[in-house]
Amino acid sequence: MKILDSYTRIRLIAGTTFLEAVRQKFFNSLLLISIALVGSSTFFQQFDFGTGELKFVTDFGFGALFFFGSILSITATTQLFFNEMENRTALTMLAKPVYKLEFLAGKFLGAHLLMLCFTLVITLVLTAILYWREMVLLEHLGPEATLDGPLIRYGDIFIFGFLQWIKFGILAAITLFVASFSNTNLYTIVVSFFMLIICQLQYIARDAYSGMEAGWERFLVQGLGLIFPNFQMFNIGDQLVFDVEKVIPASAILQIAVYGLIYTVAFILLAQLNFRRREI
Amino acid sequence: MKLYEYPLLLRLSRILTVVLALLVLGLITRPIEEPAWQVVKAGQPEMNLEAIEGALGQGLVVGVLGGFRAILADFLWIRTNTIWERRDRVKLDAMVRLVTTLDPRPEFFWINGSRMIAYDVPNWRIREEGGYDAVPEVRQQAIDLEQAEQAFDLVDQALDFHPDEAKLYLEKGQIYLNRLKDDANAAKWFLKASQQDDAPYFAARIYAELLRKQGLNAEAYAFLKQLHTELPNVPFAQKDIILERIRELENTLEIPFWKRFQAEREPVLETPHQAPAFDTPEPHDHEGHAH
Repeated sequence: MKILDSYTRIRLIAGTTFLEAVRQKFFNSLLLISIALVGSSTFFQQFDFGTGELKFVTDFGFGALFFFGSILSITATTQLFFNEMENRTALTMLAKPVYKLEFLAGKFLGAHLLMLCFTLVITLVLTAILYWREMVLLEHLGPEATLDGPLIRYGDIFIFGFLQWIKFGILAAITLFVASFSNTNLYTIVVSFFMLIICQLQYIARDAYSGMEAGWERFLVQGLGLIFPNFQMFNIGDQLVFDVEKVIPASAILQIAVYGLIYTVAFILLAQLNFRRREI
Repeated sequence: MKLYEYPLLLRLSRILTVVLALLVLGLITRPIEEPAWQVVKAGQPEMNLEAIEGALGQGLVVGVLGGFRAILADFLWIRTNTIWERRDRVKLDAMVRLVTTLDPRPEFFWINGSRMIAYDVPNWRIREEGGYDAVPEVRQQAIDLEQAEQAFDLVDQALDFHPDEAKLYLEKGQIYLNRLKDDANAAKWFLKASQQDDAPYFAARIYAELLRKQGLNAEAYAFLKQLHTELPNVPFAQKDIILERIRELENTLEIPFWKRFQAEREPVLETPHQAPAFDTPEPHDHEGHAH
């Protein structure tokens, strides 16, 4: 019964957070900019020097998804968390039998639902553009070009979108963790962005450590590699969508998703560790 | 107040708890992460600290991280061309390396970057030192060699990413041939180019011509005979030219009539079915070469 009650409370907080988030001007404008950018990728193609048109459009769409998705994930989570603090609604909510962990989980799920909408819209727009360009190209090349099957594996676009969504989940959880001890919006956003950069680059440090001699530097780099999640794992766009030599196996995709979920839960629990001591 | 109640110590203990928790989590997730990471890493272009530093200098790090690598490399290539027009050789070298590190997939960046370094930069350096008339021949050759080595270094890196790309082997051969006038090494690279799957037909013909240029007529004769037998009978293969050269070599080597090469008569295929995508010299050729 208690678990069911807790679930209801989390669901209610998540639903309210999501509704509040989709009404935000920031979300809507960022979504529009992203759609416009993905839509205009065929225009940017004239600056391309080497890759094929479809590959370029795909790279561009994936880039836009990561770039704007990361911005949205950090800023939306921060805003949604601090709005409750600044408007004192958190005080009212937590005065009722709502645990702080439930509050955090609700906030996270609301933000994560928002990211699902964003990811889905961008993925659909990208798929539509790729389909349009593929049709134009096939018409241009003639019926012989279709003999080897379709040029694009559309399912892969959604796999990439799904993995990015999982990554946004870790990012939102990291943002909540930073927000749990921070007093301002700006501090949370800046620190979360730094965390994003560190997580994205930690694999370079790990590669460097493997070539280092034993010593405190190696120990430090190895430690850094363990502390921060490896975001580069989610950048598998190069191995998807087109016929490439090394196709990513489903087991690896599953492992990446599980890895992402573990870190998401861990950062929410760490956020709870700080937040339960916090006076609102 | 007890020691463990000091705010600073309390805060430190909390930080340590978080760090420790993350360390343990990193260790726990390693068995899941490691196999997946090996698969992902194998398919990604390598990114090193040098590239990140370069990107930081250009204020592009977020784009680089985010998957805009291709478009950023394109825009940086346009910038590289502006630098090339200004003849700023130090910046040019750095930009070519940054572009190729950001997006190593298109061979366009590697090939054109190596051409700038091997053909254009030596001209600028010689002009900086007083021009072709004032700079001694030995010094000119030293500059050519120095620049060619930098270009070879770039092409070698390109070969790590595209080991089967005939254009890259050809590029090395062209630099040896056109800039360093080193026929022996040029021949070596033209032969390697001709052995790749996407090799243009002219690569093998140039190799044979370079053997002739070095006076290795017997080797050239043997190679051309083999080539004529192996090539498909399509217009792009230009088998009639090869046969013409075989006859010239037979005359030079004074091969008796009864030992001369007997070409099989096959119908010429109209459509170059097996012909590679390119069989013309690169559009960016700086100097002519012996076809």
